[in-house]
Amino acid sequence: MILDLHCHSDKSEDSRAPLETYLKWLQRKRELLPIDGLVLTEHRQWDPAADYRRLEDEYGILILRGAEVETDYGHVLLYGVNDDMTRRFDFADVHLSAQEVVTEVARMGGIAAPCHPGRPTIGLCEHYASRPPIEGVVAVEALNGGSRRGENERVRAVIDEYGYGAFGGSDAHLVSLIGICATELDDEIGDVEELVEALRHPETYRPVDFRERVRAARG
Amino acid sequence: MSLTIDRGIVGQEFDHTVFEPVTREQILEYTAAYGETNPLYTDEEAAAHGPYGGLVAPPTFVVRLRGRHFMPRQLPAELGRSGFDAGKDIELHEPVRPGDVLTASTVVHDLYDKTGRSGRMVFLVFRTTVTNQRQESVATIDQKMMFRS
Repeated sequence: MILDLHCHSDKSEDSRAPLETYLKWLQRKRELLPIDGLVLTEHRQWDPAADYRRLEDEYGILILRGAEVETDYGHVLLYGVNDDMTRRFDFADVHLSAQEVVTEVARMGGIAAPCHPGRPTIGLCEHYASRPPIEGVVAVEALNGGSRRGENERVRAVIDEYGYGAFGGSDAHLVSLIGICATELDDEIGDVEELVEALRHPETYRPVDFRERVRAARG
Repeated sequence: MSLTIDRGIVGQEFDHTVFEPVTREQILEYTAAYGETNPLYTDEEAAAHGPYGGLVAPPTFVVRLRGRHFMPRQLPAELGRSGFDAGKDIELHEPVRPGDVLTASTVVHDLYDKTGRSGRMVFLVFRTTVTNQRQESVATIDQKMMFRS
């Protein structure tokens, strides 16, 4: 099963992509981008009332929700967000403690995974160069579709040194970028609890990169 | 480093301007300036047979409106003074016609911060609501200003 674990709809202030347009795009590009589902990880927010079941049924694409928060070690994706987490953390706070986020989110039943670790300022690698590692990290986003040259490559050393699991996501903010990087999971995922459980077992998933395929199709 | 921004200005109106009536000449000058060719905005006779029954201003015409105050008088000190335009979202409603008297009311709509490759950024969002003399909504313009801090 292939899921795009990191994307932003127009609910994020820096995205102009309506969710339904992502779904139409994926439906049209099915042969090029075999994405079975996506996880919306809106910036610094969590909407407890969001419900995308109608769209899931209409387009046959799994839609899960997470969040992207900002910490002292860079940006972190949260999967399995629940009320305990939203009570414990102000998602809009851009100065969250990464250690607290990773520890507490795990304790509350979710998983917190640093994203685009190779990115300057807001990626894990730069912080690891001068500060101790965060305890309890299970996986990092090894492949990010929004990364610039060299940023994804920087992540390899951290994964090798700390034994983190590696996953991928498009980090799409625009419709045509959805699904260009994603994660192949051995398990079938039907809901976010199953996703969290799968992410706890790094040997069962890996990043997949469709960027070259997309570039070739464009000609 | 953690900075707490005073969000007390959110919701405050800092400009309310009633403009002189829009003229046909203003619309034609505006369209000529960027080479518009759509007859709805450039040709009165053709526009009379169009969906609006007459000449109307092109959608971005509302962006040329300049109120008396571009920024609130009191900005949070944490923002510093080095802000720049970070883009606009424009929602269009009723078309602008010659003779319309437009009123623009601008409030501080939002204030938030985020972090990116280059560090911390603070965004101030101004929302301008444009109405005409019939109290119809013409446009809602969200203008973002970005500050380094």
